[in-house]
Amino acid sequence: MRSIKILERVLATIPIMFGVAIIVFFFIRLTPGDPVDIMMGQGGAISAGELDRLREEFHLNEPLHIQLWYFLRDAARGDLGYSYVLKQPVTSLIAERLPATIELAVGALLFSLVIALPIGVISAVRQNSWLDRLSMSTAFLGISMPGFWLGIILILLFSVQLRWLPVQGRISLGTGFQERTGYFVLDSLLTGNFAALKSSLLHLVLPSITLGAPVAAVIARVLRSSMLETLRSDYVTLARSKGVAESWVVIKHALRNAMIPTITVVGLQVGILLGGNMVIETVFGWPGLGRMVVKAIFDRDFPLIQGTVMIYAFTFVMANLIVDVLYTYLNPRIRMQ
Amino acid sequence: MESGKPLLEVRNLNSVFPSNGKIVRAVSDVSFALAEGQILGVVGESGCGKSTLLLSLLRLIRYPGRVESGEMLFREKNIIELSDREMRDLRGKEISMIFQDPLSTLNPAFTVGEQIRESLRLHNIVSSNKLPWPFDGLRRAQEKERVLQIMNEVGIPSPMDRYASYPHQFSGGMQQRTLIAIALACSPALLLADEPTTALDVTIQAQILNLMKRINEDRGTAIILVTHDLGLASEFCDRIAVMYAGRFVEQGTVDEIVENPQHPYTQGLLNCRPRIGERDQTIRPIPGNVPSLANLPNGCAFAPRCSYVKEVCETGPVPMFETDPGHLNRCLITSEYRRQPDWDWGVVVGRERA
Ligand SMILES: Nc1ncnc2c1ncn2[C@@H]1O[C@H](COP(=O)(O)OP(=O)(O)OP(=O)(O)O)[C@@H](O)[C@H]1O
Ligand SMILES: [Mg+2]
Repeated sequence: MRSIKILERVLATIPIMFGVAIIVFFFIRLTPGDPVDIMMGQGGAISAGELDRLREEFHLNEPLHIQLWYFLRDAARGDLGYSYVLKQPVTSLIAERLPATIELAVGALLFSLVIALPIGVISAVRQNSWLDRLSMSTAFLGISMPGFWLGIILILLFSVQLRWLPVQGRISLGTGFQERTGYFVLDSLLTGNFAALKSSLLHLVLPSITLGAPVAAVIARVLRSSMLETLRSDYVTLARSKGVAESWVVIKHALRNAMIPTITVVGLQVGILLGGNMVIETVFGWPGLGRMVVKAIFDRDFPLIQGTVMIYAFTFVMANLIVDVLYTYLNPRIRMQ
Repeated sequence: MESGKPLLEVRNLNSVFPSNGKIVRAVSDVSFALAEGQILGVVGESGCGKSTLLLSLLRLIRYPGRVESGEMLFREKNIIELSDREMRDLRGKEISMIFQDPLSTLNPAFTVGEQIRESLRLHNIVSSNKLPWPFDGLRRAQEKERVLQIMNEVGIPSPMDRYASYPHQFSGGMQQRTLIAIALACSPALLLADEPTTALDVTIQAQILNLMKRINEDRGTAIILVTHDLGLASEFCDRIAVMYAGRFVEQGTVDEIVENPQHPYTQGLLNCRPRIGERDQTIRPIPGNVPSLANLPNGCAFAPRCSYVKEVCETGPVPMFETDPGHLNRCLITSEYRRQPDWDWGVVVGRERA
């Protein structure tokens, strides 16, 4: 019964993706600037016939609804078209870059959870203590600090001054790294290459912290406030009245229930982690989707933009689906319906 | 009752909640004794400090509330002086509590069976074999067996099927039975029942009370029953304490309290109660309002509403008078009147209330 529900949700992503496809298609065509003009630059050494040939090749001479039809038809077959500029299939361009983005998002998520869970819990248990005040004002700072700025500060401190961590990229040269899946940490493990494993993990540290800091701040604040509520609840008093030790009261009875609203926020943040990191990718020279799509937007590389946005939407929907499954697991009142 | 020491003896207990620079005196100068197997009813209006009294006994008043002073001797050991560890061993095993609102008291995230089992596990009731999960299969099975017995005992039908239910799937009556099952899991010597039937309809109320009575008789569990219903308390209890604004104002056996109420507040409560089969059915509510616990008068807290009030009532704290053996009354006027009915009442320069 449970798996049918999940299947239903997976199927429900199809119309969502369809809608997303139509919206991106029109929005990028509304932005001023013609792809062929931009591609040819200001050189002016190109004949009108050449331009027409390119427009024809990209189907840009056809009416919009025909272009849309081509796009949807191909997308349904899993073909997202050819990049105008890079002259490669969009799917393989994405497949090349996606692992880097996901690896960074996972790193940032882990960092934010490892930081936010204890801080949220302890701040609630010791409400108004100096620890609570300190962590909540730090969290406020974390939310309001621009990502590139934090990134640059961290690079200056840990890479340039202390030389503990690498400045840029995903892995150092000379580790004998062999790529398999595109997830460098995983690949290093698969090939048993510990030098590469160490290097890829070290490269992840600063970008993960930079990307994860505001997320950690949001999660910690939400968790703290829902912990404050559950710690005041009658069932926590019941647990104490049974003789449950205080640490278990907090972890088993209060945290378990406080995770329910927190999980929803974590889900939204996962979407942000996957989508909103082009600035941080640029600061850390991280070869992810973010940098690629920004370039594609400047180039008016329609197929590449469309494809990347579709992938963003898909991962976002999937992240939310996973959150919903977790949510039902944590909250039996929903599970039963 | 019998010879020997009482199970629980409370002396001059004061519990307070500091709030906004003021101090809410939720429990003031409460003293009583409870023998093994005895049932004490604590009767009073909403907000008079009944729940706070029970929570004080388990040291569970929510911060910043605290027990300010007094002694709570359980089996001659002062609960206030116990270490956290000793306190945890006491809670649920020796003294357990049934809370006021069953739905909000059960944890929505765990099955009812698991919530009952947790008590057994905590106090090593079924087995003290301490192998950790996942090597505790045998112990877990034994505990589950015991939980099913308890569920059956408190009248939860088909426990097997209900073990894995969540609290929200239960009716109010079943939730209350679950709370009772949790409280009884470790066969405590003392059960604190905080308005266990207020949230339930009348037939279920009677069933729950019968259940508690049976537990009291079969297991000799002493009970403190908190209620705002003097009628219910007089059917169920051995002794009754009437509480007003954080203080016990009258204490005695059920018969004494019902037949021979002395404190004007108790008399008022009895008048408020419609008595079936009596001709004069006029209900006379007590005039006025309950004073704020943050701002109690120096003298008798009931004085502003009392029809017997004299000036002396408002001059200072009123002690408990033992007017008859075992019958305590915190009222200057009626206690004095009982001692010498032919006293010249004009002597007290009265400020009679209009
Ligand atoms: N956590 C708290 N913080 C501040 N004041 C409190 C707190 N809990 C209770 N009080 C105050 O203590 C007084 C007694 O409350 P308590 O809950 O013991 O009353 P009660 O007799 O159980 O009432 P009811 O019949 O409504 O359950 C009330 O005036 C209440 O405002
Ligand atoms: Mg109460």
